[in-house]
Amino acid sequence: MFLALREMKHAKLRYVLIGFIMVLLIWLVLFVSGLANGLSSDNASSIQNMNTNYLVLQQDSDNRLTRSTISDNNLQDVRQYTEEGKATPLGVQMTTITKSGATKKLDITFFAIDVNSMLAPTISEGKMINQRTAHEIVADRSIQLEGFKLGDEIEDLASGETFKIVGFTEGQSFSHTPVVYMNFNGWSTISHQQTPNQEIFNTIALNISANQAKQIEKNLPNVDVISKDQALQGIPGYKEEQGSLIMMIAFLFVISAFVLAVFFYVMTIQKMNQFGVLKAIGAKSTYLARTIIFQVLFITIVSLLISISLTIGVSFILPDSMPFNLSTSLVFGCSILFLVVSMIGALLSLYRVSKIDAIEAIGRAV
Amino acid sequence: MEDLLLLEQISKVYGDGDTSVKVLDDVSLQVKAGEFVAVVGPSGSGKSTFLSITGALLSPTSGRMMIGGKEIHKLSPKKMNQLRLEKIGFIFQSSNLIPYLTVQDQLLLIPELSGMHHTNAKKRAHNLLDRLGLMHRKNHYPESLSGGERQRVAIARAWMNNPDIILADEPTASLDSERGRAVVQMLADEVKLHQKAAIMVTHDKRMLDLCDRIVYIEDGILSEKKKK
Ligand SMILES: Nc1ncnc2c1ncn2[C@@H]1O[C@H](COP(=O)(O)OP(=O)(O)OP(=O)(O)O)[C@@H](O)[C@H]1O
Ligand SMILES: [Mg+2]
Repeated sequence: MFLALREMKHAKLRYVLIGFIMVLLIWLVLFVSGLANGLSSDNASSIQNMNTNYLVLQQDSDNRLTRSTISDNNLQDVRQYTEEGKATPLGVQMTTITKSGATKKLDITFFAIDVNSMLAPTISEGKMINQRTAHEIVADRSIQLEGFKLGDEIEDLASGETFKIVGFTEGQSFSHTPVVYMNFNGWSTISHQQTPNQEIFNTIALNISANQAKQIEKNLPNVDVISKDQALQGIPGYKEEQGSLIMMIAFLFVISAFVLAVFFYVMTIQKMNQFGVLKAIGAKSTYLARTIIFQVLFITIVSLLISISLTIGVSFILPDSMPFNLSTSLVFGCSILFLVVSMIGALLSLYRVSKIDAIEAIGRAV
Repeated sequence: MEDLLLLEQISKVYGDGDTSVKVLDDVSLQVKAGEFVAVVGPSGSGKSTFLSITGALLSPTSGRMMIGGKEIHKLSPKKMNQLRLEKIGFIFQSSNLIPYLTVQDQLLLIPELSGMHHTNAKKRAHNLLDRLGLMHRKNHYPESLSGGERQRVAIARAWMNNPDIILADEPTASLDSERGRAVVQMLADEVKLHQKAAIMVTHDKRMLDLCDRIVYIEDGILSEKKKK
């Protein structure tokens, strides 16, 4: 890369400036991506971490768990199509609680589960609730920040029932509220059952193959089977939040492509005469194209390395309450995408270079 | 002696239909090794076009053309590229050096382009620079060279690939007559010393005594006056 390196060395300032813009753009992309990722788990980690791949919802519930009602009969029907233990009911109830005796309110979401099923959360502190208790719960760790401790009593303001915290779990949120796990005994005390001898809940979590999912969808007319991803989209606020962030990221990628495209296009136009000379003395178009590709990749890779270090550096000084989560795969994905985008930006210049005629060089006064 | 360069009934028509202009009309020329040919003629007479065709930069509309016994008018653009790299050295009107390469790198670019990283490239470059009195300038960029120095670098570059044919389009246009003459003298010496063929387009009548032959182009017709 005889020409590429020597040119960049000679025109340092220009290339440093474009590199600087790229660093800022990539930094912003990584930061917003980390934020989107963090917000997504802050919003919906309970569903993301749930050991399930499909969910059964009442028909026409718009993928919203809270909007769906599923009965015991539905459960029996669904279980005909799944293996033992691969279909388990889940109750979801968003509500407001207080610490018993206090007035400060906190929004939480109750998840009612069969405590022996695949939905049982991992306990990080205390113990799991058992099948029989009606007034014990396991809560997401994040409510500790609100002053709740092991052994505290909470009061559900909607039903007036009180529950004792016997354990804590981690990474369990739903629509930005901490999730509180209870068993179905607890569930029947807080939900307003119209039919006392038939249990009502919101959804059935499944762990099945795509084929089985299709079967259930086909054979049971009054339920929908949705994927975990669809369920995430159905969480109140999730789609809107992620949508706007993802749009920002997409725009940043497009802007990067254009910035690179314009920069290299202008550079190429400026160098038309030079390229003509190079061709006249025998340079092939592919050689000139390789020079440009090398420069684009060089700038992108250097900018990526700088931005990634900057982002990681900044993530250390961010406050804990800031939902920022940058995974290796996310950084890797962004980097690959940036390389692709930068190559797209270079296309215009490559096209111009392929059209350069050696004849440009001869008989021109300048 | 063998003809290094042979042009037979070359015609060049620019454009098509109503707007077509015949710039070269049945031009023939033979140049032997060791000959230095000057091309003169009024502006717009087709000198640059003629030189471009000779240098495989432009394909003729009709006619036959051989360099070193090889037919070239039928070659693909890619082959023409290769041919330029190996057989032809160009010196342009303004020296047309690459602004971001030092004098030494201008020369080393040629072996780089041909993909042959011969170990003696540097030695050859230094030899040439030495011969043209540019050794003390080898790490300078073109912007800090005088016009004459630049033109000498361009000559060194044209010689770098040891071409059979050297083509120069008004190499002295940007130089004063004294420096211009020195540059042309160098070309003439090289042609004699290494038995090359050279064609130079020039407006400058004072250079003609350094050339072996002088051909005139007027309205696309080429004619040659025998010297003396
Ligand atoms: N690409 C082109 N398309 C159409 N006409 C052209 C093209 N290039 C050159 N011409 C015409 O061909 C004629 C010869 O041009 P050429 O550049 O060969 O002249 P020249 O003898 O080198 O002139 P000068 O001494 O001014 O450099 C001119 O009339 C010019 O307008
Ligand atoms: Mg001309």
